[in-house]
Amino acid sequence: MGSDERKQELFGKMKEGVIEYDEDQVVEAANALVDEGFDAYEGIMDGLAAGMEVVGELFDSQEYFVPEVLMCADALYAGLDILRPKVDMAGREAVKGEVVIGVVEGDVHDIGKNLVKMMFEVAGFTVHDLGADVPIDEFVEKQINTNSDIVALSAMMTTTMMGMKKAIVKLKEKNPDVMIMLGGAPVTGEIADMFGADGYSENASNAVSEAIKMVAALRKM
Amino acid sequence: MTMTHKERVLKTIKGEPVDKMPAFTGFGAVLVEGLEKYDLRFAHVHLDADEMAKAAAATSEMAGLESIVVPFDMGVEAEALGATLNTYPHSEDLLYPTLRDKFVHTADDIKLPEDIANAGRVPLVVEAIKKLKAQYGEEYAVASWVLGPFTLAGQVMDLNELLKMSFKEPEKAEAILDKLSDMIIGVGKAYIAAGADFLSLREMGATSDVLSPRAYKKQIKGFSQRIVDELKATGVPVVYHICGDTNMIIEDMAALGADAVSVDQKNDLKASREKLGDDVVLLGNVNPWDVFTQGSKEDVEREVKASVDAGADAVWPGCDIWPSTSTDNIKTWVETSHGLTPRRNGA
Repeated sequence: MGSDERKQELFGKMKEGVIEYDEDQVVEAANALVDEGFDAYEGIMDGLAAGMEVVGELFDSQEYFVPEVLMCADALYAGLDILRPKVDMAGREAVKGEVVIGVVEGDVHDIGKNLVKMMFEVAGFTVHDLGADVPIDEFVEKQINTNSDIVALSAMMTTTMMGMKKAIVKLKEKNPDVMIMLGGAPVTGEIADMFGADGYSENASNAVSEAIKMVAALRKM
Repeated sequence: MTMTHKERVLKTIKGEPVDKMPAFTGFGAVLVEGLEKYDLRFAHVHLDADEMAKAAAATSEMAGLESIVVPFDMGVEAEALGATLNTYPHSEDLLYPTLRDKFVHTADDIKLPEDIANAGRVPLVVEAIKKLKAQYGEEYAVASWVLGPFTLAGQVMDLNELLKMSFKEPEKAEAILDKLSDMIIGVGKAYIAAGADFLSLREMGATSDVLSPRAYKKQIKGFSQRIVDELKATGVPVVYHICGDTNMIIEDMAALGADAVSVDQKNDLKASREKLGDDVVLLGNVNPWDVFTQGSKEDVEREVKASVDAGADAVWPGCDIWPSTSTDNIKTWVETSHGLTPRRNGA
């Protein structure tokens, strides 16, 4: 078997493992990829992220629901844990930047946030995860301390939207260049505009598929 | 003959003819303007029976809403099981209380209180219901609500853990849901004993936005059935509600036999009405934030009519009324509803 053929075979196994939430298959293929000296970064993008892209399609077509996506994400992470330390940083812009992420105060649910975080990690970002129910000032502080390029704010409920507005005002005041992303159930494009944010995803299920689509977009970068 | 608000509400839920279409809800409808009327702070109304009752009643006093509903937050059942409530007392924003601890990992972590009616804030809500009944009980429908077990599990467990468990270890998840169902029945019966005129069972999280219809049928529906049966056996009407995308499970929701079914703005109400026929009482499905909070008078009028045209027996908001909603928009909802012909016309 030719080397390229073997590489494609392993990518295929990782991809399928993510789609079928088969962690063992992903781990086996990722280990083989490393042992056989193939490029880890390509494995992440063309194996793991490619699998997640299909998961996104299955979610959009209502074949998969949130529990399935969470298990696919676990399978992806099982592969990422193996491949990410092996990514050859030299001569590659694997590290895209730094991002602060969290769910704003008043909301304790973090599924959407965790999927967006996964997207950033796949793409090679350094992620500072503040968790859920995070007071606004902590986002501002963390952005300043880390000089992160992006702040991603998540809120699932209408009740926490006003907190996002305050966070945006404070963040832009301290650092006008920081990019702000909003995600969560009540956030519409109109509201994101109103609040002065740079990106958004429309609702709870969109937050899931948007995160996955972002993985797909980042593969092409 | 003109009916009282209470008669109109209860007859509508039970599918009986009414003199005009009522305007009411089974969810919280506390307003900032109502809090101001009684000089109350939102973070504190969850912790004091008298304040809770006043905050709830103010919306009916000021805007004529025909139901008065307590409590406002989703934490009552979880707190009574041992979780710590955070009311965000220091926040300048309107924040609903949340639970701090995700302490349940297996059914053994759930210790049902020996006396559920006196656990956590259950007695506080009971007291608020009694006060409201004494003061407004002749005129208005005084109502309360409980969470469904899956939604309650999402309060006391990490949601990632719950969702994966429901898939990988369904029996373990079902043991948890079974115990939580006992808790919910206990809380619901305490509210009914206090005099609640009707009760809503809010299984908000079991939507097709999150779970497959198959998972709903296999893991959620049976517990909902048991709770609906036990609560209905008291003779008090029960409304069953799920948020989000519910068109794929609407027939299962109706089949539980609750007195009425409530859906939110993501449900295609016309399609639901067509599937269910005329006998099922359907409540819904105006977007509370976009229409009631953000919308103009004209928006409220148009959307209230649209829900009725689509087949609602009465217009319910898809969720709690967000407190910054204007009293005027609630008044418009009430007036518009009263001007419409009820589906079961007894005028």
